[in-house]
Amino acid sequence: MKIDRRLLFNFDWTLLFLILAISLVGLLNIYSAGYSLDNFRQETLYLKQTQWIFIGLALMGIIICFDYRFICRFAYVIYAASVLLLVLVSLYGYATHGSQRWIILGGFFFQPSELVKLSIIIALAKYFDDHIIEGRYKLRELYIPFLIVVVPFLFILKQPDLGTALILMFLILSITFFIGIEWKSLILACTGGMILIPLSWLFLRDYQKERVMTFFNPENDPLGSGYHILQSIIAVGSGGIFGKGYLKGTQTQLKFLPVQQTDFVFSVFAEEWGFIGGVVLVAMFLILILWCMKIAMHSRDLLGMLISFGITMLVFWEVFINVGMVLGMLPVVGIPLPFLSYGGSSMVVLMAAMGLLLNVSMRRFILYP
Amino acid sequence: MSENHSRLNGHEPGDFRKKFKIAFAIVSIMLAILIMRMWHLQVIRGDELTQRSENNSVRLRKIKPLRGVILDTNGQVLVDNQPSFDIIFVPNRNRNIDEAAYRLRQLFATRSLTFSADLPALGKRGWFPPVKLEKNISMEKLAIVETHASDLPGITIDVVPIRQYLNGEMVAHIIGYTGEVSREELKKDMSGDFSVGDITGKDGLEKQLDQYLKGKSGAEQVEVNVLGKEVKVIGKIEPVSGYNVVLTVDAHLQKVAWEALQDRAGSVVVIDPRDGAVLALASSPAFDPNLFNGGISAEDWDDLSNDSSHPMGNRAIAGQYPPGSTYKLIVAAAALEEGLITPDTAFNCNGSFQFGNRTFKCWQKHGHGRVNLHRAIVESCDVYFYNVGKLVGVDKLAEYARRFGLGQPTGIDLPREKSGLIPTRQWKQQRFKETWQLGETISLSIGQGFNLVTPIQLVNAYASLANGGTIYQPRLVKRIETADGRVLKAFEPQQKGSIGLSEKNIEILKYGLWGVVNEGGGTGHALKRREEDVSGKTGTAQVVSLPDEKSRRRKYIASKHGDHALFVCYAPYENPEIAIAVIMEHAGHGGSAAAPIARKIIDAYFEGKNSANKKSQPPLTVSQKSQAGNNR
Repeated sequence: MKIDRRLLFNFDWTLLFLILAISLVGLLNIYSAGYSLDNFRQETLYLKQTQWIFIGLALMGIIICFDYRFICRFAYVIYAASVLLLVLVSLYGYATHGSQRWIILGGFFFQPSELVKLSIIIALAKYFDDHIIEGRYKLRELYIPFLIVVVPFLFILKQPDLGTALILMFLILSITFFIGIEWKSLILACTGGMILIPLSWLFLRDYQKERVMTFFNPENDPLGSGYHILQSIIAVGSGGIFGKGYLKGTQTQLKFLPVQQTDFVFSVFAEEWGFIGGVVLVAMFLILILWCMKIAMHSRDLLGMLISFGITMLVFWEVFINVGMVLGMLPVVGIPLPFLSYGGSSMVVLMAAMGLLLNVSMRRFILYP
Repeated sequence: MSENHSRLNGHEPGDFRKKFKIAFAIVSIMLAILIMRMWHLQVIRGDELTQRSENNSVRLRKIKPLRGVILDTNGQVLVDNQPSFDIIFVPNRNRNIDEAAYRLRQLFATRSLTFSADLPALGKRGWFPPVKLEKNISMEKLAIVETHASDLPGITIDVVPIRQYLNGEMVAHIIGYTGEVSREELKKDMSGDFSVGDITGKDGLEKQLDQYLKGKSGAEQVEVNVLGKEVKVIGKIEPVSGYNVVLTVDAHLQKVAWEALQDRAGSVVVIDPRDGAVLALASSPAFDPNLFNGGISAEDWDDLSNDSSHPMGNRAIAGQYPPGSTYKLIVAAAALEEGLITPDTAFNCNGSFQFGNRTFKCWQKHGHGRVNLHRAIVESCDVYFYNVGKLVGVDKLAEYARRFGLGQPTGIDLPREKSGLIPTRQWKQQRFKETWQLGETISLSIGQGFNLVTPIQLVNAYASLANGGTIYQPRLVKRIETADGRVLKAFEPQQKGSIGLSEKNIEILKYGLWGVVNEGGGTGHALKRREEDVSGKTGTAQVVSLPDEKSRRRKYIASKHGDHALFVCYAPYENPEIAIAVIMEHAGHGGSAAAPIARKIIDAYFEGKNSANKKSQPPLTVSQKSQAGNNR
């Protein structure tokens, strides 16, 4: 393949730098989260996370080699594969903490719900790019996008993985708002959803209902969410303005914090780096998100714009909901903090998504072949 | 931007611009909200929350579940739980572990008790999670700690259930023992059910049935005051107790078997030939499973693991012995079924058998004279079986041995069962790259040579003859029950196959085994009871040599080069209900050293059965008695 020199010239070094910087912060933080834990399972967390970062970067490198228009020819194949993985999870998956989310893929534990977030964005972008209409969309023109979303959504609810389901809902709302929908249709869709949700209750099994109830009423599970939130707030608050210092967070090191290397990783950071550190980190995310949005704005076509916007919104909602949860503003749902939470599936998928953004960015001036 | 226009397929670029602006605004505002919230928590409430983190008073504590109780077939408790008291130190910036330990040591010293905790090295910055200082403390120590609670900041007592093995040594090899989950086990655990410090089965049924016995941990959210004392329970999830296990084992027979072994090295297995239920399984020497509670001391572990008499090994399923003359049953079965001999086939025994330039002796120096199959079994004539074994050949012998279940695990529900060894020509070729010698077949026909069997295999082989030819999988567990007595899982008898002998041949062999005990000159006359109901076979396995070992339990090795004594039997003759294998290591002859032990068990079994029958017949009432009198 002949490399167009303009591609290199237009490569978005700023985005790559931002990604690497945030990942490095994440790595240092995971090292601290696993520090002083005598449980050997946590000893090598940061080494594993490093490995995931590199695997993700390699995937990113592969993705930027091909024009995203070429990649999106396989949008529905990627989508179908990720839904198939979800089906496999519901049949043969591994359950931890009462939720069946994992599947062994080539010797690794993989969480298909992470991949689904990205594959839905690509499939929707492809669909809207292929089916352009004049003006705003009406409800009856949206039934295929609806199907694209609802199939994996139901499987994810069944796991149950309410965090991912919630992210998907916000993601779809963002994209729908962006692509433009008639007000009348929007209201109709929302009303329909509100009727459908209680109906779906009838199809849930008792233990699933119990989990959903616990989700909405953390008090039902005083040892779970309520405790997590309290300890997380104490951790963040006790960080004060300047923080307790790296590796010196007492909440962290004394294991008061729950799942401190995954969903509550931000409270580890806020405890040790304080308000200053927290502001810097949130600012880094803000710059990343705004930069990504700039890429979306300047993309050469609707496909690129929709992919970039979708990914940007995915990162934004994950950051907002995760940090909001850690700060005790939102209920506890399992959502990873992009680039900071420990986890291979999340990291690799995010890197792939960033690869797509770099892809769109560097080809913004290339005309159609 | 104008060039983009055409590629947005009719969409107004201005429309998107507006939407981007809105998105910009929403993202910025919402992230700003996060920063405001951080300001609120870290700056406005910072001091208050710092205070709370320093005296962090709410702690999540795991509550260990009760492991399931293990009962014998009659509902007698074999394994129970009891509370154990551990001394815990809860750290805090204002407390010093060395100081706490010093005070404890002093307090204990006033009652001449020792405080023997290994203090953990302090964390890198003096922070570390709660520490267990001493496990399973005595009541005396518990009283001291409780009464001086206010002088011992950071010290608390943790109550955890531990296993209580009643008659520990007696059932040690059936039940096994428990211990804290190891790193390897944690690594293998994918379910996430285990965490550090959990108790799990390490051997025996505790290991085999761990998934049923272990139960589910609960948790408790407790508020702790400045002294580290618990003030209030805020929330609690009750632990779920493990399931109870009912065994097929009869505690009374088990006791008789264990006591009959009298601390000598050996093992006894008793099964019900009708369904493979294990009624007793004893192996000696044994260990006390209670030693493992709360972690075995290094001294005790060294004592157990370095002992050359191997108290940790279960001889009944993992001891591999040459079968000796008990193997003659297999030789006879093979020869009869293959049509190589009839019951009338006779050979002359003059005390030895010449093969090439080797002389194989009969145990009876002066010879048995001319004997037929029945007498050969009764008197255990070696020369007769040398002749027969030579006719059958090694591979046919192996085929029949395997039909009887020898040389392969029986599948009993215990871990670490050994398979024994049944040699064939091919095996020797592969193992030693040598051809099979006919002389080896001659040795094999009286159970010497390469072949090895375990006691459980041996008793199962004889039991399958006794029940008319069915091989059952021996089983120790009758059923698993929930704590309130609901049956969760009942274990049915498992047929593994058939020995495939004709009914006629089975009768011939059974009659021979009956003769061993009940006829004149029989080698098993020690078991001849008034009822003449026992059938069996003696065996004496020659031990070639043993390495010179030093044992702390020297009494177990009376004569290191002595023969192993074997005895296998079943009773009664019609519809046998009980089959027994006894192996006594280095004890001499089967008839004199092993048979008396089987005798005790048989007597105990039928005594128990008779008294149970008497009890089940309602006593006559007065009126019935007088009626009986009138009739006379």
